[in-house]
Amino acid sequence: MNAAIEYQQASQNRASHATPPRRADDLSVAALLAQYHPDHAADASTLLHIGPSRGQPCHPRLAQLLQSNALIDGFDLAGAEQRSTDVLVLGGGGAGAAAALTAARSGAAVMLASKLRLGDSNTVMAEGGIQAALAASDSPQQHFDDAMRGGHHAADPQLLAQLASDAPGVIRWLIELGMHFDLADPLSDGGKLRYKQAGGCSQPRILCYRDYTGLEMMRVLRETVELEPGIQLLNRCPVVELLSHQDGSCAGAVLYDLEYQRFIVVSARQTILATGGCGQLHLQGFPTSNHYGATADGLVLAYRLGAQLRDMDAFQYHPTGVAWPPRLRGGLISEAARSAGALLLNGLGERFVDELAPRDVVTAAMLRECAAGRGIERDGQLGLFLDLRPLCGPGLPTLASQLPALQHLADKCGIDPTRDPLLVYPTLHYQNGGVVIDSQGQSSVPGLLCAGEITGGIHGRNRLMGNALLDILAFGRRAGRQAARQAQAARNKSSLPHLRGGIEHVYRWQRQLALAGLDASQPAPLLYPGQARLTLHRPASARA
Amino acid sequence: MEKLNQVLLNPAVQVGPDLAAWLHAGGGLGLQAALGAPSAIIRCIADADLRGMGGAGFPAWRKWEATANAVGDCKYVVCNGNEDEPGTFKDRTLLSASPHQVVEGALIAALAVRARCLIFYLNPHQDSSLHTMQQAVSQWQDSPWLDKLSHALGHPLDIKVVASSGRYIGGEETAVVASLEAGFPFPRKKPPFPAEQGINNQPTLINNVETLANVSHILRHGAGWYRALGVGKACGTKLYSLSGDVLRPGLYELPMGSSLQELVFHYGGGMLQGKAFKAVFTGGPSNTLLTARDLDVALDFDSVWLRHSRLGTGAMIVISEGSSIIRKVAEYIDFFAKGSCGQCPSCKCGTFQLARLLDRVDGGRHSPADLDALQHLCQILPGSGRCGLIDGAVTVVKSSLHTFPEEYGLLVQQTA
Repeated sequence: MNAAIEYQQASQNRASHATPPRRADDLSVAALLAQYHPDHAADASTLLHIGPSRGQPCHPRLAQLLQSNALIDGFDLAGAEQRSTDVLVLGGGGAGAAAALTAARSGAAVMLASKLRLGDSNTVMAEGGIQAALAASDSPQQHFDDAMRGGHHAADPQLLAQLASDAPGVIRWLIELGMHFDLADPLSDGGKLRYKQAGGCSQPRILCYRDYTGLEMMRVLRETVELEPGIQLLNRCPVVELLSHQDGSCAGAVLYDLEYQRFIVVSARQTILATGGCGQLHLQGFPTSNHYGATADGLVLAYRLGAQLRDMDAFQYHPTGVAWPPRLRGGLISEAARSAGALLLNGLGERFVDELAPRDVVTAAMLRECAAGRGIERDGQLGLFLDLRPLCGPGLPTLASQLPALQHLADKCGIDPTRDPLLVYPTLHYQNGGVVIDSQGQSSVPGLLCAGEITGGIHGRNRLMGNALLDILAFGRRAGRQAARQAQAARNKSSLPHLRGGIEHVYRWQRQLALAGLDASQPAPLLYPGQARLTLHRPASARA
Repeated sequence: MEKLNQVLLNPAVQVGPDLAAWLHAGGGLGLQAALGAPSAIIRCIADADLRGMGGAGFPAWRKWEATANAVGDCKYVVCNGNEDEPGTFKDRTLLSASPHQVVEGALIAALAVRARCLIFYLNPHQDSSLHTMQQAVSQWQDSPWLDKLSHALGHPLDIKVVASSGRYIGGEETAVVASLEAGFPFPRKKPPFPAEQGINNQPTLINNVETLANVSHILRHGAGWYRALGVGKACGTKLYSLSGDVLRPGLYELPMGSSLQELVFHYGGGMLQGKAFKAVFTGGPSNTLLTARDLDVALDFDSVWLRHSRLGTGAMIVISEGSSIIRKVAEYIDFFAKGSCGQCPSCKCGTFQLARLLDRVDGGRHSPADLDALQHLCQILPGSGRCGLIDGAVTVVKSSLHTFPEEYGLLVQQTA
């Protein structure tokens, strides 16, 4: 570990200033990112050797998964249960739920498969809120401009424009479903929505419910999905492989039913991948704020089937993950805290960055402090202070009423936020890149759509707070609508039952692996982090 | 990788639809030799022991001789390029990469049987081969070669490129005749064979694309040269469409009689993922499965026949341990059921029932009675159709039941 200032000493340094001084910036943003952001570390990027995006940069750990062997062989499908549906949605988070709901309400028969349970996802862990240009002084254009700048102008302008313009409709839809939002004046009738400031935004644009917005959102989505008669729900059924037709299009997926320990072959006219990101890979050795299920399954499967990826070397490290106590390491402290005025301090008790700069900038600045020996060490954990005193002054509403999740977290850390600061360190939070999609969520493989964190291009190389919850709903709904439309078109064309697909693409992939001399002994997707130790049940072949 | 004795896939003759390039590459010499002594053509083909490469392996010269000797004032020669079987992709490659060797061979055949009409009957689903052949044929029509040919024949030769219906059954010999008489490709009863009564009751010679492609080379280099290309008693070369669980699937031209082992493990790069070799679906795929015991078999018509299977079109669909035979069989029977023309009830209903039963077995939704039914159908169906479609379908099912009973049995236990 780098040299650091001991906790007691740092606490005294902090106490010596009534108002923490702000050190002047001495590095440009570009230089700061290039020198200190984890994406730019020497070992954080390699080139993909095979597949549709070969030659593009990718994080080595992810590249290893993308260029790996399949979990199943043709024999696993023999005797497997066969099902069919119009639209198969893979992933039980917010994007999957929104896509399934929209597709079902557009008239398609929908099957929604989740490897955990519906709602067991990163969506429920989103605390800060959702962006939407609804205020009188605001506009989708300003929303677009902020996000474009925040993403270092690497975003696909069309996708981002759609994100910003879909936002008001998304909020209306959520309110119709029954979701609550914080109001500016909760006691008067017909209340106005309350807007909060987000890092990197030109004006307050975040809508939230306390500091557990995602949980509230998933609550209404889950209730609605479970009550929707057009959706068949399969819990604890991870997808282990996609199916392909002879022309290379997607034909559905192979699921593994954990309860009965058997494979289910689902033929679908359209398949929507909403399997989320890859936080559980702990890239660059960082802790993660991500949910148990974030193991990049969908990315691996889509790539094997021939979908193009982009920006696979761009990840978001959230500035404020818990660093102490160690048992809570990586847990997220919402940007809502900084939005409300919390300050970041180094071991000398000084501020070193604008707390509401875009996340990658704040993270890089924090890592710089740690590298320069101005970090704080407590029980072997390195971090920086997140000072919550500005939120707890006299005359302000209590933390428990404004940010109950933060108060709860402070309690778990055994910290009194009115007195003591939290020790924080960046945590792997979000995958900026992913599957290339068009405006309707269609990937480069016919019959395969993607929505949510698995997609790339919407946020460029850095995402702003509140745009992920918006992204999953805006593009989840678009993908759901498009899939229902395509399935309907296919039904109109032929009333015959759709053809069952195969795993010919897996054999093609294995050939590429062998010819490129890559290691084919490691199977993927991971499905669950290593500690789960899942082994797929295989019927023993008499000949094997 | 060294390629032995390449003739049809020799890079020098992959010239596309440009006639000048073909003539520059040695094209035309075969036709010239044929024009020099038209009466010796059939003898030469017989000496070379050229076989029908469309699947039958029947000596080509017998058909040629029968057509030549039959009485008729408007004989036909048809080049059958309807190729539609799963796992076969040789004709489309020949037609699109080197169409002129096919055309020249067909012209020599027309000369040998004294035909008035030469028809290229091509699968419209293979867009590029149809288009390339149209270009290629129009260049021959404008060339002096055709005048020389007409002069030798004593009458003009009409050349047409016709798109087939694109259905699998349309490749059957008598279905070709029916199709070209502007009807639906319904196969007919044999005899009479097309060589005696084909299109419009005229003698008709129908040969596969690969068969005709060999002809100009034989005429140019002589029968002895062609015989020497093969291994052992087998003559010439063969195009093998290698697919399935091998590292390098593709089209390979090897000496006729090369071993299966060599094709799969040398040229095909071995089994994918180093898995164990399990079986090969040959030809249509409508033949008895070859298993690991048969890896040493020489891939020529007679040797494969001795193993109670057929070489067929030269398609080799390789299956490894880890792939389900039943799934593959179900796929192919489904193909046959959809391809049945439907005029013979036993074939129409039989293939449908076989497909339905296999789908149930494959999906694990079957009862023991379904397996009995499958076996009964395999006994009563063969020989009940006008063409060989139902026989081929039954052969595959029967062979899989016989060779891999435990796969059917294993699945029974799973559902029980």
